[in-house]
Amino acid sequence: MLQRKICMLGGFGVGKTSLVRRFVKSIFSETYLTTVGVKIDKKSVELPDKTVDLILWDLAGEDDIGSFRMSYVKGATGLVLVVDGTRPATLSVALTLRERTEAEFGALPCVVLFNKSDLADRWALSASEIDETKQHGWPAYLTSALTGEHVDDAFRQIASMVVG
Amino acid sequence: MTSTADPISLFQRAASNDTEIDREALASLLVEIARNVDPYYRATFDGVPAVDPRMETLRQLLVGREISELSRISKLLDEPEQLAAALGGVLPSATAQSSPAQLGEALAPVVERAVQRSIHKNPQNLTQILYPVFLPAIRKSIGEKIDQTFQSLNETLRYIFTWRGLKWRIEAWRTGTSFAEVVLKHSLVYRVEHVFLISRNSGLLISHLAAEDATSEDPQLISSMLSAIQDFVKDSFKEKEQDGLDAIRFGELRLWSEVGPFATLVAVIRGNPPEALHEILRDRLLHIHAEYADALEAFEGDSTRLTGIESELQPCVGLSQEEYTQGFPWLLAAAVLLVLGLAGGWFYLSWQASQRWQAYVARLQSEPGIIVGEQQRDGWQFYVAGLRDPLAVDPQSLLAGTQLEPDRVHAQWQSYQSLEPQFVLKRLIASLSPPETVQLSIADGRILAKGEASTAWIGRAQAAAAQLSAGGPVFDTSAVRDLEKRDAERWDAYVAGLRKQPGIIVTEQTSSGGQFHVAGLRDPLAVDPQSLLPGTELDPARVRSQWGPYQSLEPEFVLTRLMLSLVPPQSVRLSIVDGRIVAVGEAPAAWIDRARAASRQLSAGGPVFDISKVRDPLERDAEHWQAYVSQLRGQPGIIVTEQKMDGDQFHVAGLRDPLAVDPQTLLTGTELDPARVHAQWQPYESLEPQFVLKRLMASLAPPKSIKLSVVDDRIVAEGEAPISWIDRARAAAQQLSAGGPQFDISKVRDVSPEVRQAERWQAYVSRLQKQPGIIVAEQKVEGGRFYVSGLRDPLAIDPQTLLSGTELDPDRVHGQWRFYQSLEPEFVLKRLTSSLAPPKSVRLWALGDRIVAEGEAPAGWIRRARAAAEQLSADGLSLDVSKLRELTPLELVHLKEAIQATGIFFESGKPLPGPEQEAVLDKLAGQLKEFAQDARKAGVTARFMLTGHSDTTGREMANLSLSAARAETVRALLKKRGVDPELLLVRGAGTFEPAEPENNKQTGSSANRRVSVTVNFD
Repeated sequence: MLQRKICMLGGFGVGKTSLVRRFVKSIFSETYLTTVGVKIDKKSVELPDKTVDLILWDLAGEDDIGSFRMSYVKGATGLVLVVDGTRPATLSVALTLRERTEAEFGALPCVVLFNKSDLADRWALSASEIDETKQHGWPAYLTSALTGEHVDDAFRQIASMVVG
Repeated sequence: MTSTADPISLFQRAASNDTEIDREALASLLVEIARNVDPYYRATFDGVPAVDPRMETLRQLLVGREISELSRISKLLDEPEQLAAALGGVLPSATAQSSPAQLGEALAPVVERAVQRSIHKNPQNLTQILYPVFLPAIRKSIGEKIDQTFQSLNETLRYIFTWRGLKWRIEAWRTGTSFAEVVLKHSLVYRVEHVFLISRNSGLLISHLAAEDATSEDPQLISSMLSAIQDFVKDSFKEKEQDGLDAIRFGELRLWSEVGPFATLVAVIRGNPPEALHEILRDRLLHIHAEYADALEAFEGDSTRLTGIESELQPCVGLSQEEYTQGFPWLLAAAVLLVLGLAGGWFYLSWQASQRWQAYVARLQSEPGIIVGEQQRDGWQFYVAGLRDPLAVDPQSLLAGTQLEPDRVHAQWQSYQSLEPQFVLKRLIASLSPPETVQLSIADGRILAKGEASTAWIGRAQAAAAQLSAGGPVFDTSAVRDLEKRDAERWDAYVAGLRKQPGIIVTEQTSSGGQFHVAGLRDPLAVDPQSLLPGTELDPARVRSQWGPYQSLEPEFVLTRLMLSLVPPQSVRLSIVDGRIVAVGEAPAAWIDRARAASRQLSAGGPVFDISKVRDPLERDAEHWQAYVSQLRGQPGIIVTEQKMDGDQFHVAGLRDPLAVDPQTLLTGTELDPARVHAQWQPYESLEPQFVLKRLMASLAPPKSIKLSVVDDRIVAEGEAPISWIDRARAAAQQLSAGGPQFDISKVRDVSPEVRQAERWQAYVSRLQKQPGIIVAEQKVEGGRFYVSGLRDPLAIDPQTLLSGTELDPDRVHGQWRFYQSLEPEFVLKRLTSSLAPPKSVRLWALGDRIVAEGEAPAGWIRRARAAAEQLSADGLSLDVSKLRELTPLELVHLKEAIQATGIFFESGKPLPGPEQEAVLDKLAGQLKEFAQDARKAGVTARFMLTGHSDTTGREMANLSLSAARAETVRALLKKRGVDPELLLVRGAGTFEPAEPENNKQTGSSANRRVSVTVNFD
C-alpha cells in the first residue's frame, strides 16, 4: 500500500470541492469543511509501475489567510493549488498559501489548477500569468469541474511528483 | 639639617586626604631640586618652611585628580544606599554572565529560604503564581482517577443485588478471588472491532485490522480524518500537550487512542471496556515503537517497510468479553405455567362462587320475614327453600348485588305470617288504615299508636289489639286521643267563655255528631261570639249560633248607649263608679237638660246616671263675677256704683282713689277672663285715714326722725323735726277738709342744730367705717369742727363725696388720710383690672377671697395674668386664671383652618408662582383681610407667617434661599392684594418641613414646592 497526503489549497469558491466531489472517492459530507475546516477524500492514481492512494486534504477555502489552519498541512507530501480563472485575485491567494506552507514545512511538490476553464467568456487570467507559475517548476492545468478537463491529468501529475 | 626642620619627617605626617604617596621620597626629591636650583634658598633656609604653599600646589598638580576620584569611590563604598544603587545596575548582567551551576548552588539555599518565608508570610501570593502551572496537572490527574473510580463503582452497584451478583459471589468464594475481580471479569462486555495505527506526522494510515464481521468505511480516510479531528481539537482549544484525544465516545462505540512519538494507536470498541484495556493498548503501542521506531519515523505513506506490523496489532483486535448466557427451557416453563394458571383459575372461580352463595344465604337468613329451611349447591346450581312472609323483601331482588347468576339460583318459598313487629305493623296499617293524624311505630318490640283519631277508629284499633294473638307483639293504642271528646271539651270551654261575656245570655246549647249549636240573647254592643272562636280551635263551620237582640242594663252597656245618644262635649267625661254612671265636667245648660232627661228615662232596674257634677260655665262665671265684685266692694278707696253681666261680658263702674289697689290686679285668681271684664272708674280722694296718711307722706316728706301713724281715725305725727318741717306739717293739718281725719302734730319736737350736726357727723363716720378700703383710726368733734383720720386705699371711695347729702358743711370737716393698699378682694380686683386692662372678653370677679378671671383672651394677656397671679400669691391672695382660654373665636377657628390649609405651589426652581395660582392668592388675600379684621374686633392682633418650602432636588443652600424667595414673593403678591404687610411674616424652611417625604429614589415632589401659611396672635 502506497499512499501520500496531498493538500488542496485555494481561495474561497475556487471550486476545490467541486473537483473533488466529481473525481474522487469521498465518504465524508461537505459539512466537515465548515465544521472541522477540512474534508478528507481519496483518489487512487494508477502510475505505470504502481498504484498510489492520494489522501486529499481539502482545506476550507478561506480568503482570510490569517485563519488558515496550518496544522492540517503537516505531513503533506504535495500541494494542489486551485485558482479560479475568472478571479485573478485567487491566484495570489493560492500563491500566498503556498508560501506560508513553505515557510512552515519547506518546499513541497506542487501543481496549479486554473479552474473553471469552461467559463471562457469570463476568463480573466492572462497566459503570461499562467506561464509564470510554470517557470517556478509547478505544472499548471486549465481544469473544469464541469467538463472534467485535465483533472485526471493534474492528479496523475502530482502523484508522479510525490512518488518519484 | 636640623632636627626641627627635617623636611622628610614633615612630609611623613599624614595629610587630610592621604593618598599613600611615598611622601618621604617625594620630599627629599623636591628639597634636593630646590637646593640645586637656587643657591639663595640654600643660604637662606636651613630646612623647609613649616608650610610651603608651593609644595601643596605641586601636590595638587601631580595627584589632584586621583585624590578626588579616590575620595568619590571610597564615599561610594562607605554609603550603603549608593553602593546598592551601583550594584543594582550591574547585578542582572553579572548574574547572566556567571556560571549557571555555581550561581544555582549559591542561590539555592537563599531562594528556598525566601520561598519558605513567602509562604509563611502569605501563602496566597505563591498560590497565585503557581496556579496556571499546577491546576491543569491536578485536574487531569483527578479527572482520570474519578473516571476509573466511577466506572468500577457503577459496575459493582449494578450487580451487587442481582441474581447474577449472587452467582458471582459464589464463584468468588469458590475460586478464592475477590468479588471485585469476578464482577469486572463478567460485567465489562466489550469487543475491540478495529485497530488503526496512524502516523502522527501525516495522519496517514500505517496499518488497520478489523475483527471478524466488523465493517467500516475506508480505513485510510478514517485515519486521516481522525488525525484531522485531533488537530482540530488541539488547535481549537490551544492544547499544547503531546497527548492526542484520549477517547471519543459515540453511543455504544468508543474510540480509544494511545499516542506514541510517531504513531497513534486507535481502537474502536463496541461495548463497555475495562480501564485495563488502556494498559493493553499502551503496551502494544510501546512494543510497536520499540520494534519499528526508525521505520515509523521515516514513514511517508509507503508501508512496504512496515510489513509484519499487522501481526503486532493482532492481539488487540478481538479483545473481548462476551455476555454470559445460558439456555433456559422457556417452552417447558411456559407450558407448566399455563396448566397451573388454568387450574388455579378454575379453583378460584369455584371458591368465589361458593363465597358469594354463602354470603347470599346469610343475607336471606338475616332478612326478617324469611326463614331459610334448606340450602345446597350442586355444581354451578344453587338451591334454597324455606318460609317467607308475603310482606318480606323479594329474595330475587337481593340477588342483584351478589354477582350470582339468577338463572342458576332455584328457590322454593312457603308463605307464612310473620309475627315480627314490623310485619304486624305493616298488616295493621293495611287493615286499620289509620288517619293521617295517627302515627304507628315500633318501640321495644311493641307497636305504638300515637296521635288523634275518631272514637270509631279507636274502637277498631282496640279490637285489633285484642285480636292480636298471644305470641304476637303488643299493640298499644293508649296514646291515641279521642278527637270527638276533645272537640266536646273545647265546645264547653267556648260556651263557658260566652256565658262570662257581658251582654250575652246563653239560653241553649247542644253538640251532636261534630255539630255545635248555641242560642241566646245578645246585646248588639256585646262582643261578637264569632270573634271568640279562633282561640278555641273549633271549626267555625261546625258552629251555628242564634242570637236574639236585647238591651243589657249592665252599666258599661248603658254607658255606651248614653255616649251614643247624648254625644257629650269633650269637656264632659262619663265613667262608671261603683255601678253608677257619673258625668263630670262642664257642659252647656241644654246638654245638661238632655242628660237630666236621659237620667230620668233610665228604667228602674238600670244603673243610676249621676249628672250632678256637670256644671254650666255661664253659671260658674256668674259666681266668679259676684265674688270679684264683692271683693272690690271690700277694698278701701274703691266704691262700686254699678255692675252687670251681659252674656259672657262683665261691666263694673264706680269711684276709685288713685292710691287704692288696682282693680285689675284683683282679677288674677278669680278665673275671670280679663278681656271680658270692662271697668269704668272715676278718681276721687278718699278721706279714709290711711289714704290721707299716704297723701301726707307724699306731700310732706317727713324726716326719718318723724313717724306718722293712724290712731283711732286720727293721723298722729311723733318725733323730732326741724322747725321748718313742723311749720309745713301744721299748714297741711289746717288744709285737711272738715270731713277728713284729724292730723295731730302735737307730739313733734323741735331739734337743736348742734345735736342735729352731731347726729349727722356720727352718721357720716359710721358710713365711712362701713366703706371698704377705708379704715377710720380716729374721729372727734371740737369747736364745731369735725376731724377724722385713718387709712384709705386710693381706689376706695373719696370720703369727700360721701359728705354730699349729709348736710354737714364740708368746710368744717377735716379728713387726714394715709394711703394703703387694701387686700380686700374687691380692691385687688380693681387694681388688677386697672393694671392688666383685660380685654372685653374677659371677666374678672371676686369669689370669696379669690379673684377669678374667666373668658377668652390673647395668649400674651394670659401670660401677663399668670405673672400677676404669681405676684399676688406672695401676698397670700389668689388669682384663678384656670378659666381663661386662649382667644380663638369659633368663626376665627374655621377661617384659621381654611387659611392654614392653603398652599401656593411653584414650578421646579421657580420663585414666582404660576398664573394658575392667581385665584388661590386672591382667595387667600380675602381670607387674611377678613381674619385680621375679625381678630382686631376681638381685641387681638393676628399675624400670618408665610413659610417657603422647596423639594430636595439640587443643593441644600440653594433650596433654602429658593424657599425664602418664594415666601417673600407671596408676601409681595398678598400686599399687592391689600393685605397689611405689617401682619405678614416671612421665613424659608428649605427642604426641612416637607409636605410629603422624599428620598433618594423619589425627589422633586411638586407638593413640596410651596408656601404655607400659619396664623398667630399677638
